[in-house]
Formats: sequence, C-alpha cells, structure tokens
Amino acid sequence: MQAVGIRLDSVSARFLHRVKGEVYAARDVSLDVRPGELLTLLGPSGCGKTTTLRMIAGFQKPSEGRIHIGERDVTGLMANERDIGFVFQNYALFPHLTVFENVAYGLRVRRMDETGIAKAAGEVLVLVGLGGYERQMPHQLSGGEQQRVALARAIVIKPRVLLFDEPLSNLDAKLRVQMRGEILRLQKTLGITTVYVTHDQEEAMAISDRIAVMDKGRIVQLGTADKLYRRPATVFVAGFIGRANLIAVTVRDSGGGRARIEVGRAALALEDATPGLRDGARATAVFRPEAIALDRPGAPGTVPGTVRSRVYLGEKAEYIVEAAGRTLLVVRFEGEAERFAPGAAVGVRLPVRGVQLVEGEGG
Amino acid sequence: MAAVGTGMRRRALPALLRDPALGLTVLALWALIGLFILYPLAALVARAFFPGGAFDPAPVLAVVMKPHHRLALVNSLVLGALVGVAGTVLGFLFAFTAARASLPAWLVRLIDAATLLPLISPPFTTSIAFVFSFGPRGLITHEVLGMRSVNVYGLWSTLAAETLTYFPIAYLALRPVLAAIGSNLEEMAFSLGSSRWRVFRTVTLPLCVPGLANAFLLLFAASLADFATPLILAGNAFPVLPTEAYLQITGMFDLSGGAALSLALLVPAALVFFAQRHWVARGHYVTVTGKAGPRSGGEALPAAARWVLVAACAAVGMSILYLYALLFYASVVMAFGANHALTLMHYKVIFTEGMKAIKDTLIIALVGMPLGGLFGVLVGYLVARGEFAGRHAMEIASMANYALPGTIVGIAYLIAFNDPPLALTGGALIIVACYVFRYSPAGIRTTVALLQQIDRGIEEASQSLGARSFTTFRRVTMPLVLPAFFAGLGVVFIRSMTAISATIFLVSINWTLITVRILENMTELSLGPAAAFSVFVIAVVLAVTAAIDRALEHLRASWGETSVSGLAAG
Repeated sequence: MQAVGIRLDSVSARFLHRVKGEVYAARDVSLDVRPGELLTLLGPSGCGKTTTLRMIAGFQKPSEGRIHIGERDVTGLMANERDIGFVFQNYALFPHLTVFENVAYGLRVRRMDETGIAKAAGEVLVLVGLGGYERQMPHQLSGGEQQRVALARAIVIKPRVLLFDEPLSNLDAKLRVQMRGEILRLQKTLGITTVYVTHDQEEAMAISDRIAVMDKGRIVQLGTADKLYRRPATVFVAGFIGRANLIAVTVRDSGGGRARIEVGRAALALEDATPGLRDGARATAVFRPEAIALDRPGAPGTVPGTVRSRVYLGEKAEYIVEAAGRTLLVVRFEGEAERFAPGAAVGVRLPVRGVQLVEGEGG
Repeated sequence: MAAVGTGMRRRALPALLRDPALGLTVLALWALIGLFILYPLAALVARAFFPGGAFDPAPVLAVVMKPHHRLALVNSLVLGALVGVAGTVLGFLFAFTAARASLPAWLVRLIDAATLLPLISPPFTTSIAFVFSFGPRGLITHEVLGMRSVNVYGLWSTLAAETLTYFPIAYLALRPVLAAIGSNLEEMAFSLGSSRWRVFRTVTLPLCVPGLANAFLLLFAASLADFATPLILAGNAFPVLPTEAYLQITGMFDLSGGAALSLALLVPAALVFFAQRHWVARGHYVTVTGKAGPRSGGEALPAAARWVLVAACAAVGMSILYLYALLFYASVVMAFGANHALTLMHYKVIFTEGMKAIKDTLIIALVGMPLGGLFGVLVGYLVARGEFAGRHAMEIASMANYALPGTIVGIAYLIAFNDPPLALTGGALIIVACYVFRYSPAGIRTTVALLQQIDRGIEEASQSLGARSFTTFRRVTMPLVLPAFFAGLGVVFIRSMTAISATIFLVSINWTLITVRILENMTELSLGPAAAFSVFVIAVVLAVTAAIDRALEHLRASWGETSVSGLAAG
C-alpha cells in the first residue's frame, strides 16, 4: 500500500472551561506529515500534543480547521471511518479477550474470513516477537508484552497511518529504550506514516524523522532533531531539547554572519551568528554544556571562573561553574584530562561557533 | 486534558445523527422513562392538584388537614427520626467494630452476613417475627414471661423492627467512611499523647459527622417510605402516612385522597433527598486525608473496649438470628403459640393454595430481571459514556422511581394506567414495569461506577480498529460491564421477590404476589403459611444471591483483578 501524508490546516481544539471561559487545548496547528515519515509531537504535559493526536485519530473533533489523511478530508469522519492504527499509553487491551482475539478484533470488524484472520494475526504476533502467546490473557503479560500486543493489534489491520500516544511511558527505562528501537524498526519495515506523541525529548530524538515541538497549544518549531538541538528557534525549544545555559545577552556589530555579544561586562565575538538580529537587540544565547571548555585559570581566551561543584558520571563529569557573574553548567568528557575540584579557580572558554541566538530573554 | 469531555458535548446532535444505533437507543430509553417514570408522576400530581382540569389545592389540603391524617404525618416524621437515630447508632457500632476492633476475618464475615440478612429479606420479615416473639401469644411475652393480653402494636415495636431491618444501610454507609479515615490519622493523634477516648472524641467522631448525617438521612427516608412494617406492627393507635394512603384507597376507594396523602409524603422525602445530597457533596473532608492507610490498628483499642464492642454486636446479631430462627420455627409447627407439634403442613398449603402467588411472583421476577438488568446497563452506559444532550437529565429521571417512596410510585401507576389507551392495571406488565423502573437504578449506579474504572481508551481502541458504536458496545463494553449487569439482575430479582409498597396497589385477581399473600395471611392471622412463605422467599433470594456471587467470582477469576471491583451490595 502506498504511504499517505497527513495534513492539518489551522486546526484548533477549543472548549469551555467553567472558570477560565474559552480555552484552547490546541490552537492553529498546521502540520504536513510526509508519506512514510515518523513525526513526533513533543512537549510538556498540557501542551496540546495529545489533543492534536486525538483530533488526527478522530476521537475529538476540531473546533476549527481541516484534517486530511492522504487526499481524503477526514475532518467530519469518526475514528472508525478513518482507517488508523492507534497505540495507547496504557495499552487499552480488551481485558476479556485473549491475545489472539485482541489482535483479531479489527479483522473481525472488517469481516475477514477465519483462515485469513488466523494467518494475519499469527504473522503479526511473530513480527512483534509474541509467537506462541495467542491464548494468554492480557493480565498474564508483562507491561512490555502488553504493549507489543497493542502494537500488533494496531498494525494487523494495515492502517493508512499509525498513531502513538506516549506508548512507552508506563515501561521501565531499559525496556523503553528497547521498545522504541522495535517501534522504529517496524515503522521503517512497514513504511506506514506515523505520528508519535511523547514528552521525552531523548525518545523523540532517537526515533523521529522530524519533531514538532509544542507549547501552550501551538507548534513552536518543526524540524529534525539535529536542527532543533543546534538551531532552536525559541528559548522554550532551547530549554526543552537537551540541556542549555541560557544567557541573556546584548547583540553588537551584527552582520555578515558575525556578531559581538555582551554577556554582562564580558564580550564575545561569534563567528557564525544567527542572521536577523538587530544591533542592540536583547537576546538569549544558547550555550550547550558540552560546548563550554574549562582550562587553567588565566589561559588565553578564557574568562576567570570558580568551580562550585563537580558530579562524576563515569564517561563524563558535570561541573557547576561561576564565571562572569553567571552560573554555568559544563559537561566534560575528561578522559585523562585535568580535573578541577570544587572551589578551584578555572578559566572558562565560551564557544564562538555554534552558539544560537534567539530573540527574547529566558536565562 | 481533563476538559475534553466538555468540548465533546457541544457536538452532541451530529454524533447522534451519524450514529443511528446510538440515537435510536437514546430515543427508546427516553420513551420508556417518559412512559413509566415521568408520565405516572405527572398523572399523580394532576389527579391531586388539578381535579377539574384547573389548579385547585383545596381537596389536597382538606385531606391532609384532617386531624387523623395530620397525626399520621407527625407520626411518620417522629418514627423516621427515631429510626434514623437508633439505626445510625447501631450501624456505627457495627462499622466501628468491624473496622477498628482488629477482629479475625471470619468474625468480620459473620458480621457482614448478619447484616446482609435483613437487607435481602422481605421488608416485613422482622415484623412478622416480632409478632411471633412479642405478640399476644409470643414466645417471650406469652411463653417466657407469661403475660396475658399484651399489645405488641404501636410506636415501640415498629421502631424496633424498622431499626433492626434498616440499620445495615447505616452500616454499609459508615464502613467506607471509617476505613477512609484510616487508623494512621488516629495513631498520629495517639502518638501526640492523646488518650484513646480523647482520640475517638476529637478525631474519629468529628471526621465521621458527615457520614453519620448521611446514614441518618438514609434511614429517615427508608423509615418514611416503609409500608409493610407499620401495616403489621403500627396498629390503629399509631397511624403513619404510607399505610393511611393505602387504606384511603383500598378501604375507602378514594384514589384522589390517597394521591394527596402520598404527596404529603413527598415533601419530607424530597427535603431529605436534597439534604442528603448537600451533606454528601459538602462533607467530603474525610477523603482529603488521601489514601486510606493500611488498616493496622492493632493498638488502637484497649482490650476491654474491644470486648464491649464485640459483645454489643453479638447481642444485636443474635437478636437478628433469633428472629429469623423463630420465623422458621413458626413455619414448621402446627400453630405457633398453641400447638408446637412439627409439621410440613404450612409448606403444603403454600405449594398448593399458594402456588399461584409463587408462580406469578417467579414469572414476574424472571421476566423483570433481564429487562431491568439490561435497562440499568444501557442507561448507565449512556450516562457514563454517551455524548448527547440531556444525559444528565436522563440520569436524574431514571433514578426518580427509586428515590421516591413506593407508596407514591404505586399510586401514581394506579392512576396513570387505569384508563385506556394505557389500561394496564390488573395485568402482569404493569407489575413488571414497576419493578424494572423502580429497582434498575442499582444496576445503573453499578454500571456507572464500573465504567468510571474502565479506561475510556479500551472503547476508543475498538473504535480506532473500525468498530461502530453498537459493535463496540456489544463486543467490548457489554462484556466489561457484565458484573454490573449481574448485580442489576440480582437487585431487580430480589426486590421483585420481596418488595410490596408500590406493587400492593397493582396486584389483581389475575396476578398476585407472594408478599401480598403474606400480608393477607397476617391479617387473617394464618401465621403458619405467612412464615412458610417468608422462609421460601428468603431461601430463593439467598440461592439467587449466591448464584450471582458465583458468577461474579468466575468473571473476576478469568479477567484478573484489574477490571472488576467495588460492586455495591445493592
């Protein structure tokens, strides 16, 4: 089957709140999911990502906007008419049916014949690694196994799109990493267009072709994981994707890909500044913790600083350092390099390349 | 995303139109509710207040202001208040003992069993046994104390019988309250240096106040609506409203007067209903303490207090068992109080002469049972899950016949279905309908409670797999609410076997009920058959209750613990 895209045009979900009046759970969301791609809606709880997903599924009707799956306008259709596969956070298996009957459910609704059902359900159970589990009841399975059944149940009907609502959040950390690898493998094998909702940025970065970061009901940035990490468009995205030192700065001499920024009284000449910031603009500079280097005090190109604490994490160490009147998080992959003890004076070298400047203040 | 439901409600109509099965079901249920709940009540009010087509309260006032009827109203209120207080005290005693006295599990089960017995028996079982025990030829009054010409009838015996019959309601209402307070809280106060008695007085009791008020109101309402106990025990000197309304209709053939009297009952009943909602809604600081802690509580009570509590409960439990044993004894002796030779004569009587009543009752109960169970599950499902305008109204309307005293419902049915085109009186259908719409609310509430525990995602999963709402209901929801369906079946069946207050107005020569026969036997002083009938009913009800428990147990075992829990006793 040919993979199809999903298009959202200015979709909003509005409801009446008893106290606050009209409230938007999702507002003016426009989105183009490409055929065969895995796109993640990422954001903190209450950002509207689940609402958006449920509107794509048809569990909730948008108050405004249109939704297309492929060429078909599905805005007015109920979930059972949209040909989707949905995987729920808490699996939502039918507790009164066996594993086999859970998987067969969608096929029975489609009036497939018994031999076809047995074959299709058997195959998909093998595909998710649950061959031989047919006669078990859901409550006899572990969380990971239950989620595999839910996955099998969703894909056995060969839906046009797959929708995941935080499918891994009820699993423990190790299983989560394993399951997300399997979801990715299945999605690539089947080539089904997929929308995936999560609040876990690491999970999003690990599996997504593209990520849409949502905040307060809107999509604030859409792009690849790499782009979001290196070129966050807003303070919110910078803080949500990875860790960052967000430093309020004033922009000087901007132009030609170069800019001088003032961090308090210190100045820094950036070699690849974000275009478009005016001279004198207040902005936030995003310094990733691993981009800041520590050196001996007084080393050339450093500002003087003091180590407040050091946390050893095996392959790396995290430092809290005070420099130029700021508290900075620094991550060092130290190997055989020199270590600094709390209280020690250090030279802090801020990067001059790869520093993203975003408008507005956050840090 | 808590407010999603509000957002969905606005697109109610399109959903109904798009989903014809859902739309038709809603329409059908409204039609039934309208016909069998709203219309009879409207007819009752119309008959009482619009005698000539125009509003005229004079006849109602005339009937209600008669000194005898005013006395009945006062008596009803006094009796209700006394039963409320006495029953709440007994209920609290049992609940506190079960929750705090760290009893062995079998003893708690025994308490549960002793309190279950009055709940599932015909409402007048205790009254009949009272006559056997304290009547003119009663075991205690006549045989033991040798009293001559005693009068068992009146306020005190009615009060005692109703208290023993209804205190289990208070027990069931107070147990979760005491469990929710959690002994942690008490232990905390204890660890702060309070004495045990002080902890009870300053922590436990104040936290129970809303629960106690709730229990009092439930008992007050139960006593107010009770028809059978005063009919047997109150006697002429102590008239109460439900029996007066009954006598007005059956004795004086004054339907309008009966309607007026039953409406007089409506006022205090409605007041209690709203007061109770008020208490239940506002008095929830008990649950603020959060999760109920593990019930350790071993140290909470001194040994002496434990023994006093257990002894008091045992005394009450023994009196209940004594009354039931007496009832059984009366059914197997020639003539209780006169000839104590053992015989099965009375059972022979009820299975020959009384066979028609038994057959009629069983047919009505067996027909009403599946209908009531299905109605309860459907309404409960739509109330909990449906997305259509007026589902809140449907919930309230469907509860009306349950909340109202049976006398009102019975008289309303009598008025509403007496004339063509709805001349149903005299047939079985009207009795079945009365039971179905009066006792299915238990199933409705259980269904709603169960659905609140079942993740909505399970039904959405079915929908996402392509199932229409009807398919989802049939293949997913219905199997999941099966426990509520069984519970609903059970309550409708049990009440169809035991209730009388509403249906006594609806029986006829063609269709009669065991409970009505028991009352007739009591008034004719053929006590043996009355006792035998009662024992038969209790046996059937116990058997059905056990069967339903087995079915629920079976469901629980096959699905695991997750989906089935917390089924109310009814």
